[in-house]
Amino acid sequence: MGTQVKDVIIKPDAPNSLLLDKHADYIAAYGSKKDDYEYTLSEYLRMSGIYWGLTVMDLMDQLPRMNRQEIIDFIKSCQHECGGISASIGHDPHLLYTLSAVQILSLYDDVDAIDVDKVVEYVKGLQQEDGSFAGDKWGEIDTRFSFCAVATLALLGKMDAINVDKAVEFVLSCMNFDGGFGCRPGSESHAGQIYCCTGFLSLTGQLHQVNADLLGWWLCERQLPSGGLNGRPEKLPDVCYSWWVLASLKIIGRIHWIDKAKLRLFILACQDEETGGFADRPGDMVDPFHTLFGIAGLSLLGDETIKGVNPVLCMPEDVLQRVSLQPELLS
Amino acid sequence: MAESEEEVDVLVQRVVKDITNAFKRNPNIDEIGVIPCPEARYNRSPIVLVENKLGVESWCVKFLLPYVHNKLLLYRQRKHWLDREALVDITCTLLLLNPDFTTAWNVRKELLQCGVLNPEKDLYLGKLALTKFPKSPETWIHRRWVLQKILRQSSAAGCRKQQQQQQQDEAEQADVGRSQQLSDHLARTLHQEMRVCSDAAGRYPSNYNAWSHRIWVLQHMAMGNIKVFHDELSSMRLWVSMHVSDHSGFHYRQFLLKEVITELSHSSGNSGSPEHRSSTVLSSSPNHHSHSQANGELSGAEAADEVENQLGLSAVFQLFHQEMELCTDLIQSFPGHETLWSHRRHVFYLWHHWRRKHQHHHCNSTNGGSNSVHLNDSEPGLQKPAVQGSEDEEVVNRQRPAGEDMEVDRASLPDSRDSKRLKRGACPPTLPLEHSFVSRILDSCCNPEQRRFALAYRKWLDTVIGQQP
Ligand SMILES: [Zn+2]
Repeated sequence: MGTQVKDVIIKPDAPNSLLLDKHADYIAAYGSKKDDYEYTLSEYLRMSGIYWGLTVMDLMDQLPRMNRQEIIDFIKSCQHECGGISASIGHDPHLLYTLSAVQILSLYDDVDAIDVDKVVEYVKGLQQEDGSFAGDKWGEIDTRFSFCAVATLALLGKMDAINVDKAVEFVLSCMNFDGGFGCRPGSESHAGQIYCCTGFLSLTGQLHQVNADLLGWWLCERQLPSGGLNGRPEKLPDVCYSWWVLASLKIIGRIHWIDKAKLRLFILACQDEETGGFADRPGDMVDPFHTLFGIAGLSLLGDETIKGVNPVLCMPEDVLQRVSLQPELLS
Repeated sequence: MAESEEEVDVLVQRVVKDITNAFKRNPNIDEIGVIPCPEARYNRSPIVLVENKLGVESWCVKFLLPYVHNKLLLYRQRKHWLDREALVDITCTLLLLNPDFTTAWNVRKELLQCGVLNPEKDLYLGKLALTKFPKSPETWIHRRWVLQKILRQSSAAGCRKQQQQQQQDEAEQADVGRSQQLSDHLARTLHQEMRVCSDAAGRYPSNYNAWSHRIWVLQHMAMGNIKVFHDELSSMRLWVSMHVSDHSGFHYRQFLLKEVITELSHSSGNSGSPEHRSSTVLSSSPNHHSHSQANGELSGAEAADEVENQLGLSAVFQLFHQEMELCTDLIQSFPGHETLWSHRRHVFYLWHHWRRKHQHHHCNSTNGGSNSVHLNDSEPGLQKPAVQGSEDEEVVNRQRPAGEDMEVDRASLPDSRDSKRLKRGACPPTLPLEHSFVSRILDSCCNPEQRRFALAYRKWLDTVIGQQP
């Protein structure tokens, strides 16, 4: 077993300036050229895909280029009798896509396009006795779903519909010795889950329950010599994990603990100069998911050509101001 | 190559049938895959069965997937009728190609609920999907649902058994047999599940979903069955030694350690009922000894508790000692692995907390009498835990009989002495030992990664462990 370092090397000719126009063109064209096979493969997460695309367009101030009416009609047709929203038409409702739909409608300032009361009932109905949330009626439990539940309700201004104390209790039971969080009690710390849990604690005003120094330490150790961040020890750096780690650090007030300039260079190197868009790592294929998290990451790092992004909900700050939502951040 | 819609229709229906038939022909298929093959070969099915491997030629996937996908969605929207058999076949094909299609798994959940499918069949389908997509979150989620269904069924059967117990002997006899069968079945399912997890862990490094599923399985199917935990712990020893970068595998080991230590501590009287706890603690306190001896002899029960207590505690020390040795060995043999250093932190932290909890507990409940003093009487190798971190020294000095002061110094003695000591008995980690381990690495190793991790560990010891009250 050798000891090759698990990291990437950024080539000297890698892009090092932000290609905003290219990215907007890439996202605008993405929906239109849908190859049957690719489209089918990812339809199970279509609603989240739309949220990624629209949010990154809004952050680049290009939202009007997207087809608002078509998207709102699509969301309406994805709301089910139970109130939950599915990833696409004919798919089953799930908390993940319910949150994505509410996020999209918040961007468009049109949450009343769907039956909001039913959404609230749906979310409420998924809370379990121990405070946790199931992702859908089949009962899978995950701290991600706790985040989805409170984020959905926070955007709708209906946080009081659930038992917040119990929900907090469950999320805290997933905290580990390293200050991080996993998907369930006893599960390994994972940057994506940490993002969900710190975001959850922010929305519920419970960030004082986090050991910010200990967690900040773990999060900072995700930065690799290339500047990129990974999601767990000995994994490769990735633009999406860079966002989750960075946003978590921002939430717990420790963003200055990492080398921001180096991270910016890593994110910029993940752009595709020809097609536009960001990949997980330099040289890989781009996709809307990593494009959002690349742009959002640069925004958190202070890039002023992008709108300010909220670290908890990954949405433009101006949208949250409109709905008067100001999630707690530690300083 | 098929072009028109009808041609695609015919082609795809044939392929779905071929897949179904392959499973009928060989019920032992254990792996699926796509065979790179850009064009159709005339008059030959794109479904290839070689020994126990089922392959689909790549050219047909792009017809096959959209077709079965759309068919299922039309059914879901009640625009197209499919009978149960067709649903079973279509979801099978669909999930082998795209196992994160949540709704297809949900269709199968409904088929399971109405008895068209049986749970074992779905666990099998998931297992196959995982051979090609070892991370697939939805496949793992579906497995947990199926396992819960199996668990519910067997606990319902358990209840029926109890209700019937008032009836005649013969029925009871039959029931005993049945419940034995049930628990055998659960044991087999558990075992199988562990194998599915191992297999997926081998196919994708640091497979979060596979390892967190494995934890879930133990939490739901093996709680209280300490033998399973012990077996897992010992079989994981070899696995982690061969996968020194696999943080998730190490996390699983940490989970096992924690559970086993909790169980051992329980048997040594620290997590049982409050009454039980205080009685065992009292029986192990020297004050209490003199007290009982003044009044007569130790009761039989007290003596038995005593022995159990000793065994539990020395087993805990043994475990910590062995784990730190394993960790030292791996760090030295495979320099520069963050996972190994992270494991060291975790084990040390576990130890640190276990010790504090126990010491604190004993101090409180026995008014200054300490379990460590008692241990000193019986096993010279076991006195170290009370003699480490400075915050404990005061307590220790108060309790330790004179003449044992040299034990304090031994903690900071050079290695040769330490290893001699180790041979005499299980010696748990101490802060000074950890610091000398770090120094040794820094003195001898020039691998920059290894040095970086060693320095970070030192800093962690100083700040996270050192600054705790
Ligand atoms: Zn990624």
